[in-house]
Amino acid sequence: MLSHLLRYTLTLSVASMLVLGFSGCNKKLNLVPTSVVSQANQWKSLEDARSGVMGMYGLLRTALAEGNNYWLWGEFRKGQFQSVSRTDLKAVIDNNLKASYPLVQNATDWRRFYAAINSCNVLIENLEKCLADQRYTQAYYDLDIAQARALRAFTYFLMVRIWGDVPLITTSGEGNNFEQFSRTSEAHVLSFAKAELEDVAKDLPFIYSGEDLEFKFPTNYYDQGSGFWLNAPFTRLAAYAILAHISAWQGSYLDVATYTDFVINNASKANVYISTTDNLVGPQGLFAGGFDNYRQLVAFPFIKDRGETTIDGHIENLTLANTTAFAMSKQLPDVYVPKERITSLFSEANDQRFSINNTVSPPQYRTAYFENFNAEIPVFKKIRVIDGGQFSGGKFAVFNSSIVFTRLEEIKLLRAEALAVLGNTAQSLMILAEIRAQRGLSLIVVPNKESLLAAIYTERSRELMGEGWQWFDMIRFNKLLGFDPQLTTWTKNGGIYWPVAQDVLKRNPKITQTEFWK
Amino acid sequence: MAVNNCLKYLGNGSFLVVFVFISFFTNAQDSIVAEKPDTLPPMSRYEQRATLQAINLREDNFSSIPTRYAENKAYVSAQQIIKGLLPGTYIQEPSGEPGTDQHIFVNGIGAPLLSKKDLYNQQAVVFINGVPMQQDHPFAYELQKNEDVRMGTGTNPLAIFNIENIESVEVIKDPVRLSMLGPLASNGAIWIITKNAKPGNSNITVNLHSGLVTVPEVMPVNAAFEYNFREPFYAKFNPSGTTLMPSFLRDSTNVDYYGPANWYQSYYKSTFTYGADASLTGGSDRANFRLFLSGLKDANSADNTSLKKYNAGFFITVLPVKWLVFNSMINYTRLERARNRSIGERIMEQRYIPDITNPLTPNRSLYDKYLDEFDKSVDDNINSSLQTAFNATALLRQLTLKASFALNYDESARDAFWPTTLLEGNNFVSAYLGINQRVLFSSSASYKFLLSNDQSLTVGLNQSFTNDFQRLKYAYGYNGPNDFIKINLFAPNTTEGKFVTYYFPAKQQMAVASFFGNAGYEYRDLLRISAVVRRDGASSMQPNNRWFTGYSAGVDYNLGHQLNLDGTKLSVLASYARVGIPILDDRYSTGPVYTSYIGWPQEPTLGTYIGVPAIARPYTTGWIGYDIPWAYYNKLNLGVRLGLFNENLTLGADLYNRDNKNGMILMPVASEWGYTGEYKSGLAVNNKGIDLMLTANILGSSSPVKWTFNGNISFNQNKLKALPGGVESVEMSNTKLEIGKPVDAFWVYENAGVYSSDSEVPVNPSNGRALTFQGIQLKAGDPKWVDQNGDYNINEDDKVLKGNYMPKQFGGFGSIVQYGKLSLDFQFFFALGRYAMNQYASNRLDFVNNDYTKNLNAVKEITYWERKEDLSAYAQYNPWSDVIAYRNDQDLFVQKASFLKLRSMTLAYDLNSKNFLKKFNMFRIYLTGTNLLTFTPFKGDDPELTTYNGIYNGRALPLPRTVTFGVKLDF
Repeated sequence: MLSHLLRYTLTLSVASMLVLGFSGCNKKLNLVPTSVVSQANQWKSLEDARSGVMGMYGLLRTALAEGNNYWLWGEFRKGQFQSVSRTDLKAVIDNNLKASYPLVQNATDWRRFYAAINSCNVLIENLEKCLADQRYTQAYYDLDIAQARALRAFTYFLMVRIWGDVPLITTSGEGNNFEQFSRTSEAHVLSFAKAELEDVAKDLPFIYSGEDLEFKFPTNYYDQGSGFWLNAPFTRLAAYAILAHISAWQGSYLDVATYTDFVINNASKANVYISTTDNLVGPQGLFAGGFDNYRQLVAFPFIKDRGETTIDGHIENLTLANTTAFAMSKQLPDVYVPKERITSLFSEANDQRFSINNTVSPPQYRTAYFENFNAEIPVFKKIRVIDGGQFSGGKFAVFNSSIVFTRLEEIKLLRAEALAVLGNTAQSLMILAEIRAQRGLSLIVVPNKESLLAAIYTERSRELMGEGWQWFDMIRFNKLLGFDPQLTTWTKNGGIYWPVAQDVLKRNPKITQTEFWK
Repeated sequence: MAVNNCLKYLGNGSFLVVFVFISFFTNAQDSIVAEKPDTLPPMSRYEQRATLQAINLREDNFSSIPTRYAENKAYVSAQQIIKGLLPGTYIQEPSGEPGTDQHIFVNGIGAPLLSKKDLYNQQAVVFINGVPMQQDHPFAYELQKNEDVRMGTGTNPLAIFNIENIESVEVIKDPVRLSMLGPLASNGAIWIITKNAKPGNSNITVNLHSGLVTVPEVMPVNAAFEYNFREPFYAKFNPSGTTLMPSFLRDSTNVDYYGPANWYQSYYKSTFTYGADASLTGGSDRANFRLFLSGLKDANSADNTSLKKYNAGFFITVLPVKWLVFNSMINYTRLERARNRSIGERIMEQRYIPDITNPLTPNRSLYDKYLDEFDKSVDDNINSSLQTAFNATALLRQLTLKASFALNYDESARDAFWPTTLLEGNNFVSAYLGINQRVLFSSSASYKFLLSNDQSLTVGLNQSFTNDFQRLKYAYGYNGPNDFIKINLFAPNTTEGKFVTYYFPAKQQMAVASFFGNAGYEYRDLLRISAVVRRDGASSMQPNNRWFTGYSAGVDYNLGHQLNLDGTKLSVLASYARVGIPILDDRYSTGPVYTSYIGWPQEPTLGTYIGVPAIARPYTTGWIGYDIPWAYYNKLNLGVRLGLFNENLTLGADLYNRDNKNGMILMPVASEWGYTGEYKSGLAVNNKGIDLMLTANILGSSSPVKWTFNGNISFNQNKLKALPGGVESVEMSNTKLEIGKPVDAFWVYENAGVYSSDSEVPVNPSNGRALTFQGIQLKAGDPKWVDQNGDYNINEDDKVLKGNYMPKQFGGFGSIVQYGKLSLDFQFFFALGRYAMNQYASNRLDFVNNDYTKNLNAVKEITYWERKEDLSAYAQYNPWSDVIAYRNDQDLFVQKASFLKLRSMTLAYDLNSKNFLKKFNMFRIYLTGTNLLTFTPFKGDDPELTTYNGIYNGRALPLPRTVTFGVKLDF
């Protein structure tokens, strides 16, 4: 009897399980992934907008940092540095840019720049949805869109400097099946970038979360004070500084003069000042992010306290090594500036950055830029922010230096350059003197415009060493002075650009290799 | 956490209701039963097995191994147990380090193995008593800079098995049977049935063994050897360059490097293994049990590595009424791994590459000092694994009802600490906790219709629901206050005397719901037709493609019976199936996504900008679109089963053709959108092959010597049939997929010698330009690479697909020879037609680039001072050339890696007899040797020690040669 009841119950249960299983299962299969955010769940709130904005900056930082590319492009190619024993770096230094080293191949791939551009485009197309969140006001929206457009323009400028003609893409392209575009002319891309920046510059504040006389910016940008943001998001000065550089690359020095004038006159509004030499090279100085450091006018920081310590993505990774003054376990650097070059470049006495005092025996040399000068291979230590710059030794070789695109000294030298070109020698000389004085150098006398430009060029080489300007300065000044016939030819035939990576060419047959590198 | 989840599911399912209900009635029933004891007819073996398993499957003797072939060998993992014994099943054992990952492939690979993720997705699934075991999830690799070793304990989850507790092992390849196991078993299944509770007088088995792991023969060298190896290159190509040699080679008076190379005496040390296991089985017909306990230590003589395993299993069978069977299994295993002390694995975990230009010294006393530093370190790797299963089966005449519940819960915990002395004056601490949890419910009903006296039709309805939950928590920190505080007191900065921390949580969840109906028609024992129709839904699939319908059908025809053959059995079978393959990752289920990954491969964990969390499209991992369909496989199998001479010779052959279709793969897209690629469906890979299995009793039954031969050989060939978007070929980072070519080939330049002078470099007659390599002028000393397309520029278009890393033929053979109480068995294992990429040779020859490059490939382990291969046999190229003359991707380094191994040999003697030790059913002593001999044309040391995709880097620990002595009792 009981057995029958049991039998009956069991049959019923299994049957009901089968039926229940069918009906209830679809719901159980709706699991929300936790490692990603779906399209439907992004762009709903203030926080979503904030993450999106940080994503753009972060991706551009990645584009510059990966493989230490920023310095391969701007500093090492035919620059002052020599490779100690790495063959791949030697290939870059020798302009052997088709060499098959992974390092070189990686540096010729522009995909990461386009990731940053795409993230700007995605943000521009979607950000409106965040306005649904009451906290996300129109002021936020306008500012974030302005940043996205400025960042996109800047990215295009960086790319043009490296590759010349690059495809100009201003949509996210989502849903369009990854359409293939061909290269847009350099002039067109630059004028796009310039127009964009001119358009949005006024929509960027001098300081984020700072005093707002125009009453148009969010008061406490994403709930952080100005001391938190510093100059990490693009400010109005950043936009004009970039505009000045685009103009210089185009050769429109009149514009350069205008834009640099704006930056210099308004620098104090953004707490941007010139650094002393000590401050420039200090472990918590200009190159360290955070620390109330507003002096990085356009820069991409890696802040230790905020968990952004890395090994790759810093020139320190290549230039630093053990010195008598600073112990590190790496015995020799990957790249170094040979002694003869140091002495010929820093030939003036009392240069705080580097100079030799021969009046005492043994001769003493200043160590702001270089250590181990007496050894065969000196160490370039201008930028040395190791492990947050909080330790006196470098036993833990992880780095926090920011990638600094420009600072006030650089903008002033650019202004001096523009004024010199425009014939305003006196004012140009005055600015040059100001920078020189800051580094302990005396006044100079120049007989003509050419020697003034040469002096400015030399000063840039010294002041901006290791900051990724060497190669681009050389091109610009060679256009003005013509000191290197080979470079003049390359300027004409596209040899100044980098080849386009094989991988890029393969993925999009509409992209053609730069003529020079065919 | 686990319990919570578990309860949640229990609450959801109707299972609990059923179970409580049944328990209630069982109790009531017991009192009734007690009054009227009834004797049960003993269940047949088939019935027993049927009640034990979550899903009933027919047995196929032609794809199972008699477990005695794997007994007495002290194997620790499922892979080692089945290696070389199951037809169609290929086992990779990439390292001899005890407890590390091993891989199972059944009937080839259904997709190219481009990354560890692909490897995980191609693994056969192991079932214990019908419950699929969960695998580790590859998501951990996304937090790593490198894929070599998985973060965490890195312990093989299948190392929980003990052959003494296994009743049978079978590989499920037959399409119909495979289709019953559903989408999780799409790569084949290893079907393990444990020994189970049995009624009868208490039966005890005890097995004790201990082994000696011998020291391999190595050829240690010192810096003089390396100097002499390099010197000719300097003499020929860079005479003035010897001053630029790394410092450890420059000074020949430096005894640290140029002194005696006796490091190996500390690195290789003979060591012992031991193990003990015991089982107790017994109970009444209505309630019986089995208890199994074991503990063992497996070890390798290299680098003081070992695995300790403790296992307890408890199995109960209860029949409250004679038609109702409850089975339960609780199996717990704890694995403790003592890992290697290699520099590579350590700095990979530390994410910090110290200065590696100078290797460890070949000098023993200095090496010992280095090893002493490990006394200060912590390196605990503990896996706990719990499998529980409950089955209720009601056998109601023609109706069988079954309900099953299973919970698998694995926890792996790793704590590591390395003192300042091992990392340039910095210390390092890390903690890892990984959780894998699977909950499974299934229920089924089947009814057998007796159509007539010789015909029957069985119809079944089945339902199952699986929920997987996988999580990891990982934190690491540098520079704690000193080397005595080894626990992770984490804080944002060191000022408080704590470690600076980095913390990464990650989580994956997946649910699969399945329903299937199966039908079987039988006509006498002549003909059997079976068919399955199933519908599977997976949470990882997008809502509009959530479900997939699969089906299968098969015929089994007993030809021998039809033809009335005497003493000969012959049957032929044919079956076909189509079953869906789900994506095993939850992030594809919602279409386009955003991730927090804004770093780059060297800095994979950067997810913020100035400390503010960032979000962006998955540019680095690839675009995920909408409308991703299920992948699926179509498999056709034709088989013959032959038994001759009263089954003294049996032969099984299976001819299969499997098409994996609609596979998803990352396809390159124009770089101008920022993505590395787009995930697209449409990959189709075909596998064809034959699996043969043979057993033979060679000497007649009259002979005093019994000789049983067993052997299997499998032929497999894969081919790419289609790529997404209908393209002909696609180039990935290191390989190329081309329709019509195998998916496991190496993509390399072809070597044709060396240019001995610049004038030998061919010149393009049309423009007078000499042959270039990617635009670089080739010179004397550069390799002659074949210009396949004749455009006078060697680039990736001139690379060809060569070789294959999966073997074309593999299997094993062996014998058991018995004479009275003495028996001898041996087993060979082989893999033929297989190639490996010799990265070891390439790295050693490319010393110019490797000495100063800071990457893991360039790390010089202590085994740098071991000669593994004669490198002077390679052509002499200019290693300073910008073309990277000794680059990996050339066929110079694609080498034959076939091998034949004498894997084990066991001599056993039974001491008990009618007069002596007669209380014992068995009193056996045995002596076993494992990994005894290798025959190979390969140039390196052991061709088996390659990574999953065929790269030999010389870093793996050798497979240990162990001599084990054991005693086995049954009473």
